[in-house]
Amino acid sequence: MEGAQRPLELILARNFLTSVTTPAVLVDGEGTLLFYNEAAAALLGRSFEEAGQMRADEWIRAFAPIDDDGAPLELDGIELVEALKTGRPAQTELRIRTASDGYRSIEAAALPIVAGQDKASGAIIMFWTRTDNGKT
Amino acid sequence: MNRYGGNTSCVQVTFRDGSQLILDAGTGIRALGLELAGAPRVAILLTHLHLDHIQGLMFFHPCFRPECEITIWGPSSPEASLEDRIARYISAPLSPVEVRELPCSVAFNEAPASEWRIGDVTIHAEAVTHRGPTLGYRISDGETTLAYIPDHEPALGASLDELSDEWISGYDLARDVDLLIHDCQYTDAEYPAHVGWGHSALGDSLKFIERVGAKRALLFHHDPLHTDETLDALAAEAAERWRAMGHDPEAIALAREGDEIEVSAPRQGVHAGGQGRSTVGTTAAPQVSTRG
Repeated sequence: MEGAQRPLELILARNFLTSVTTPAVLVDGEGTLLFYNEAAAALLGRSFEEAGQMRADEWIRAFAPIDDDGAPLELDGIELVEALKTGRPAQTELRIRTASDGYRSIEAAALPIVAGQDKASGAIIMFWTRTDNGKT
Repeated sequence: MNRYGGNTSCVQVTFRDGSQLILDAGTGIRALGLELAGAPRVAILLTHLHLDHIQGLMFFHPCFRPECEITIWGPSSPEASLEDRIARYISAPLSPVEVRELPCSVAFNEAPASEWRIGDVTIHAEAVTHRGPTLGYRISDGETTLAYIPDHEPALGASLDELSDEWISGYDLARDVDLLIHDCQYTDAEYPAHVGWGHSALGDSLKFIERVGAKRALLFHHDPLHTDETLDALAAEAAERWRAMGHDPEAIALAREGDEIEVSAPRQGVHAGGQGRSTVGTTAAPQVSTRG
């Protein structure tokens, strides 16, 4: 049966993200950005309704992540992607470009979503703004 | 005698070729088992293993006939096999008989992620929003389709008005079916005190039915604390609200124990030969149950 519907675990994850005030993003197993919540929208500078779903290459272009030395990060260079590849949690610090006020320094943790299959069907990525001294 | 029944969930489905499926094994399956006295084979689809959906198994006559072959399908779990989880109920101290001691031949199959067939019937199972591993089923007999989602809270944490189709639990199962049997345990006023319990309020049930485009719906899994008068009022409210939403109020009903409903796919184009027809027995005494 050809399906229009997302797997239940991603549906529940999205509903969960709408209920928390920690900035958070939901990606699928391919790294496609499926959703981000209002707290993330406040940090990124535009609502999810404006941005819409983005393939991995699209959100890499939109957020232009860089490391602390200012070097651009490709998808495979972002440690968070390990959560999708290995099914293990991952954490990193990086800077991303926002639509409102240039680059923001963030700390992010990715929690893989695994439900009955070998690989993660997605991940929740929560993030926190870092202050100048590196503290959130 | 109450008019809506008092057994827990069990639905008997009879297909065009005369074969049958049983949906869930609540207490309604006891009386059904007596009617199936000569059946050599029985297939049961369990949505989940909450007690109100399996407690009739110990009183199901075919389980105690050595010549009967029973196949039980249900949700998988990373914690234990389907058989081991059901065995927690059919074992001491809850039962005098262990699963391995049942006289019948019984097979436990975890529902696969892809469609499968039982005879001429196609089954599709998918996880739905409820507490614990829970499936809904889409059953197709020719062009006739039935969806059975008795325990379901698709509006948990989100308004169905605000979600696109891809983000609605149960959407693929119920899309455009000829008959949808769906949870409607609570009134809208009761629901706020039961958020997260895995069941739907009337308003969310109606919205779900509308979103998936089901041609007809039976509201199911009545709250055991609801009296017949409460359910009468709920039925009247459902019909009125469904009319106000722009639909035929005849297409919505509360399930009653013993209901028997013939389901047919509407004719499509000139291909009348493909028309399917199945019978669903619901609730009350002999065949099915709605409460649970």
